[in-house]
Amino acid sequence: MNWVNFRARLKKVFRSAWTPFAAIPIALLLGGGVLLLAGYNPITAYEAMWQGAFKDKTAFTEVLIKATPLMFIGAGLAVAFKCSIWNIGAEGQFYAGAVMATVVGIYLGDLPRFILMPLVLIVGVIGGALWGMIPAYLKNRFGASEVVTTIMLNYVAIYITGYLVTGPMIETKGMFPQTPKISAAAWLPRFFPPTRLHIGFIIAVLLAIILYIVIFKTSIGYTIRAVGINPIAARYAGINVRKNILLAMAISGGAAGLAGSVEVAAISYRLYQLISPGFGFDGIAVSLLVNNNPLGVIFSGFLFGALRSGAEVMMMTAKVPSVLVYFIQGLVILSVVAFGAYRATTKEIEE
Amino acid sequence: MDLLPVVIFLQSILAATWRMATPILYAAVGEIFSERAGVLNIGLEGVMLIGAFAGYSVAYESGNLILGLLAAIASGILSGLIFSFFTITVKANQIVVGAAYNMIGMGITGVLYRVFYAESGRALSLKTFAPIEIPFLSQIPFLGEVLFKHNIMVYATLLLVPLATFVLYKTAFGLSIRSVGEHPKAADTVGINVNRTRYFAVIIATTLAAIGGAFLVLAYADQFVEGIVTGRGFIALAVVVFGGWSPWGAMGASLLFGIFYALQLRLQAMGNIMIPYQFLQALPYVVTVLVLIGLTKRRVQAPKALGVPYK
Amino acid sequence: MKRRLLTLFAFITILSLLAACGGQQATEAPKAEEPTKAAEAPKAEEPTKAAEPAAEVKFKAGLLAPGPVNDGGWNQTAYEGLKKIEAELGAEISYVETEQSPAAFEKALRDYASQGYQFILAHGNEYTDAAVTVAPDYPNTFFFLSSSRFFDPKVPNVVGLNTDSSQPCYVFGYVAAKMGKGAGLIGGMEIPPIAEAFTGFINGAKAVNPDFPVKVTYLGNWTDTAAAKEAAISYVDGGADVLLGNADFATQGVFQAMAEKKVMGFSMFGDNTDKAPESILINYLSDYGEGLLEIASQVKDGTFKPTSNYEFGLKDEKVMWLVYNEKAATPVPADLRKEIEGVIAKIASGEINTLAK
Repeated sequence: MNWVNFRARLKKVFRSAWTPFAAIPIALLLGGGVLLLAGYNPITAYEAMWQGAFKDKTAFTEVLIKATPLMFIGAGLAVAFKCSIWNIGAEGQFYAGAVMATVVGIYLGDLPRFILMPLVLIVGVIGGALWGMIPAYLKNRFGASEVVTTIMLNYVAIYITGYLVTGPMIETKGMFPQTPKISAAAWLPRFFPPTRLHIGFIIAVLLAIILYIVIFKTSIGYTIRAVGINPIAARYAGINVRKNILLAMAISGGAAGLAGSVEVAAISYRLYQLISPGFGFDGIAVSLLVNNNPLGVIFSGFLFGALRSGAEVMMMTAKVPSVLVYFIQGLVILSVVAFGAYRATTKEIEE
Repeated sequence: MDLLPVVIFLQSILAATWRMATPILYAAVGEIFSERAGVLNIGLEGVMLIGAFAGYSVAYESGNLILGLLAAIASGILSGLIFSFFTITVKANQIVVGAAYNMIGMGITGVLYRVFYAESGRALSLKTFAPIEIPFLSQIPFLGEVLFKHNIMVYATLLLVPLATFVLYKTAFGLSIRSVGEHPKAADTVGINVNRTRYFAVIIATTLAAIGGAFLVLAYADQFVEGIVTGRGFIALAVVVFGGWSPWGAMGASLLFGIFYALQLRLQAMGNIMIPYQFLQALPYVVTVLVLIGLTKRRVQAPKALGVPYK
Repeated sequence: MKRRLLTLFAFITILSLLAACGGQQATEAPKAEEPTKAAEAPKAEEPTKAAEPAAEVKFKAGLLAPGPVNDGGWNQTAYEGLKKIEAELGAEISYVETEQSPAAFEKALRDYASQGYQFILAHGNEYTDAAVTVAPDYPNTFFFLSSSRFFDPKVPNVVGLNTDSSQPCYVFGYVAAKMGKGAGLIGGMEIPPIAEAFTGFINGAKAVNPDFPVKVTYLGNWTDTAAAKEAAISYVDGGADVLLGNADFATQGVFQAMAEKKVMGFSMFGDNTDKAPESILINYLSDYGEGLLEIASQVKDGTFKPTSNYEFGLKDEKVMWLVYNEKAATPVPADLRKEIEGVIAKIASGEINTLAK
């Protein structure tokens, strides 16, 4: 590589890289403005947030724990979104996976560890994938918009979970609605006790990498993306559009289901009515923030995990309502997309 | 067999139906404009929350519901400008911006509500729009209760839907909206300013959504609580598709949703059914999916340029 | 200053890493930017001077609430209790609304405990697992669980505190069956504090009239005031004339339905007479703080040695009591009030089990 070329490349990198850098501080600055307006000191708030996320090893592992389901879901959704399937139903698919994992973890609890542990994860994937394939089937067979059906199926999954934990699967009738703990043989290993960092985090990173490879480096991924860009052209090119839609939904549903089963097998060990605080919806943002690149999801998942984790401490020590973090998350997304688009247009003008 | 309980049962459900449908209907009719112009706004939930908060806080401080409604409208216009700026001018992905807007709506209303009201120790309820009993008609048995004892914002939907239909199908503006949503390029060549048309369509959408949000506090429940919209923005999105992108269709769809929501509450209240209540709660959502499948024969296509920024 | 600068800088680096990834170039991005950011960061930081007080052993009390503490109901009772501890014991207080996911609970408990909080109130049964896991690591911290009957000598620093809402609700049910034709109960979700309150109501009503119709509706959330109102109206249409809401924020809708439909009703956890002045017959008021106070002061002094869990009920007159609304359209008649006194005495003595199946 000659020197001029290298400088040109560096310049290009620099030019395209400065914008996202500027995006984050701007989001924080705007969030700070709201804090000031509301009578808080933004610096103390942000410092508390930082402390909450990165103060020590434990805090940092908690960030990773929070990021894990977001990475799973985000990486899966990236596939669906690349196929232009607007799966808003990861929340429901998460529940489906969590339910399946709990059922197996409890009722097949006598199986040996080396069978039970993977089985719990696998049924989670299956549960999520099947729940995700319902809208895909309805779209293929009846043309029902997946935006509608996935939203509706979220509610259905949550209510079914509510029924199971208050009814047939409740641990003790009349007590807090939760299932019994799943068999200890199904618990995922944790790394550095007493921290809760578990192997699920590694699986999430691996999944993101695998899905990146699948989407960008294999013919399966190529056809999925082709359907996403233009289904009609894809059909003319001999691609089975319906099969790809089904596949994309199965992958994204499966990933969300896996997130659910990991949450059960590694963190909660049992099922509750509201086991997800909206991971499925955050996952949408996590994926979109990095332009539906599964690899990028590792970072955006981490960012959201850090924001959420930090927000709790911000509330504890700086007394700032943790709902603020939603606002900041929204602003981060907006500034990143705005700068991304700005970059695209300036490039166009230069060319 | 005694018919009276059945009549009361139906009357109770049907009277609730229209009220339950109204906030969803406002948001959905608006969203039709936006989607017909090619802009998908999944941020309706956030827009509705902000509208509800703006409407509530102004109405509460001023003691005037109309001012509250105007504030909600202003917040809707602002939401529309922000959303259009990002999706139309900046050409960012519409789903991204919508998702972000939902978070922003939740965050900002939560923070502001706490700061201004949460620990103020003041009584926080408003005097909402009172039901207007239409003379004579409200005396008709059954129908009177179902149709003629609602408040002004519920009745207004009867104007909204035909008006929206008229604008969309019978005016030049409506034609421009539909053409930029189907063939933006063609619209451009005949001299329609695509982006400006989309700006207007989006602002109509967010304004109506904000009114729908404000309805919850000004004409239904009497105070703002965090997360009061409770998913209605998402239901409205479903209603748009389900109603085939037409205002009358949206009215039908939201009424259908309302009827099943009212039915599930009523069935729970009867209490002697052997169905777990969670299945009843899921009923409106399941029915929506089933009806959507059933409608497959006369399915309407989505606007062709939906979700695609122009140029 | 330096530390903060470093943290801010690192934060920005991480954020930008991800942002750069969103574009095309992932790896080279941070390097290119570092110098400029580092130069900018101090500017943003200057206005603050960290004014942290010198470390001293202070009594610190923390609260984990499952929802906003301004809900005028469940969470607010805990927050006000905490404020009482602040006022009376000079404690430093703090609260956090935890995400409704068990994954979040353990972290929040550890965060407080590791900051040296000696008194942590986890306001709900759902925190039990997390508290039991965390407690052995922080033997100098007491973890209290609301709406819980937990006590286990193996984890002596986790103690359940139950405010038995079924007792006042028994009285409500008793009054309802005496004065009304039928009752509708509207709950948020089916969790023990809600379900037990309703059980109490039903038992109270059945004690008067075994055929008195009482039905329960669950909304499936805590925020939908409109749905709560519709559910309440639905009861009235079905012939009920007594309503009770126990759904956090959404309860507001029930009050509104009472007022509009001019039926009778009750209020829990606070005085809501102004929301439905003619309808509300009795307010069940609770001062959780009064119950917490004695425990907290023992924790502060280091003399707290729990031997069992705590049950608060109508016997603890400072913790929960009933207030009649004299302005109601049909106030509770005097002879019925006499009767109720007897009922309350029997509940307090344990003669009446309000949770009987």
